[in-house]
Amino acid sequence: MKTTRWLAVLALVLGLVLAGCGDDEDSGSGGGGGGESTPAAEVEKFDAGTPLGDIQEKGEIVIGVKYDVPPFGFNNPSSGKVEGFDVDLGQAVADKLGVKPKFIEAISDNRIPFLEDGTADLILSTMTINEERVGQIEFSDPYYIAKGRILVKEDNSEITGVDTLGGKNVCTALGSTYEATLKKQAPDAKLKLVDSYSECLESLQNGSVDAISTDDVILTGMIIQDDTLKLVGDELSQEPYGAGIKKGNTELKEFVDGVFTEYKDDGRYDKTYEKWVGQYTDTEAEAPTISVDEAVELVKQNAG
Amino acid sequence: MPFAFVDTLTENFDEFLRGFGTTVELVVVSFVIAMSVGTLIAAFRVAPSPWLQRIGGLYVEAFRNVPLLVLIFIAYPGLRRAGVEISAFVAGVLSLGLYTAAYVAEAIRSGVFSVSKGQIEASLSLGFTYPQTMRRIILPQAFRTVISPLGSLIIAMIKNSAILGGSILALNDLLKTGRVIASRTFEVIPAFLWAAAGYLILTGLATLAIRRLETRYAVKR
Repeated sequence: MKTTRWLAVLALVLGLVLAGCGDDEDSGSGGGGGGESTPAAEVEKFDAGTPLGDIQEKGEIVIGVKYDVPPFGFNNPSSGKVEGFDVDLGQAVADKLGVKPKFIEAISDNRIPFLEDGTADLILSTMTINEERVGQIEFSDPYYIAKGRILVKEDNSEITGVDTLGGKNVCTALGSTYEATLKKQAPDAKLKLVDSYSECLESLQNGSVDAISTDDVILTGMIIQDDTLKLVGDELSQEPYGAGIKKGNTELKEFVDGVFTEYKDDGRYDKTYEKWVGQYTDTEAEAPTISVDEAVELVKQNAG
Repeated sequence: MPFAFVDTLTENFDEFLRGFGTTVELVVVSFVIAMSVGTLIAAFRVAPSPWLQRIGGLYVEAFRNVPLLVLIFIAYPGLRRAGVEISAFVAGVLSLGLYTAAYVAEAIRSGVFSVSKGQIEASLSLGFTYPQTMRRIILPQAFRTVISPLGSLIIAMIKNSAILGGSILALNDLLKTGRVIASRTFEVIPAFLWAAAGYLILTGLATLAIRRLETRYAVKR
């Protein structure tokens, strides 16, 4: 009797130890992404003590991406890795630095704190460049311009655009720019703010909200998952995405801008666009050429 | 900097107040559900009928062993997909109330066991029915001994109510309000500290109420 009890305790302890080991391995390998990573041929060495030198010394760059926003950042169940447009760009930055990227999940309302407290070196999480955020963090030049749209169920004939959202439950992510855009353009809409767009999709499917409003590419990702949904109305906003960097770290900002320019010029951008967006929407890649300041002006017009 | 800290509250006072009000509503309704269902289940668990005992046991195990967040998913997206037109608020208070009720039932059951069995026998032999025995003789004494553990449960429930706002229910409770203000103004630390102050008001009031009840009804030793 006594022996069996001890055996049970031993088995439990062993189980816990083994589970612990498994976790370690997982966190070590990080993301990866399916992007065609170029061989790190010419890696520029940066001085120790500078932000870029520190990252090279660590041997990894921590990049915050979305885990639930196809096609920009999402966990691929078959590979167990996070993949997407943002992930490919992050891989390109890491390759150019000659370090390994470590992808962590950054949701809309924790990504800026992540930069401030050093949890992440770089944020690539469908983050719109706007005036308030420019005051908080550095942005790379825009790498993608999304358009704000409205998604409803196919059988919904009441909602035809932003001016018909009055009194309706509209879902968007807490901390996203749509909170402000919708308050201005549809002041009578009842906003339901959740942590992630997957929760918005669930809420639309089970009928607890009438519409979702966010970037067209994210909504397209939802239609790919559930074809009983449709986009309605004109675009209500333009959302230039930029990579986020800690305030004052202009060295990393300029480095990332350099990587993005190269990425656009050597044709990798077009390939990445086709892989994640173009093949679903039948659109050609249109790499943005505007600066951060111009992006801020563009976003200001959204509220107009 | 200290002024900026106060500004976060004054500039967003109406919003904070609405969030506080929502949290109060959630807590009060959940409390009523938790106490009434919890007492009923405790009575089941100590009832003479083995079937009632089994039902009570099943309830406690089901609601105590499922994480609150999972209960919320069952109560809101789950029920809605099953065709029940439940509102976010009702799903929220049902989840939190029924979840807490399982703990309340266990606390009261232990209180009932602290009343000697002889009293039940005496009461039954004097002609009281079982429900009367419970209501008039056992439960009043049991409640006295469980005021303190119940108090801990109430405080835990107030804090657990913050899970409701952060979940798929998208209720604008106090913590959620803090998060919305933090994401809009980037005053992250002040926004969360003011939300914390709101919770402290509620848990502080609960603590005071429990202490008063204790001094009034506690068994003199």
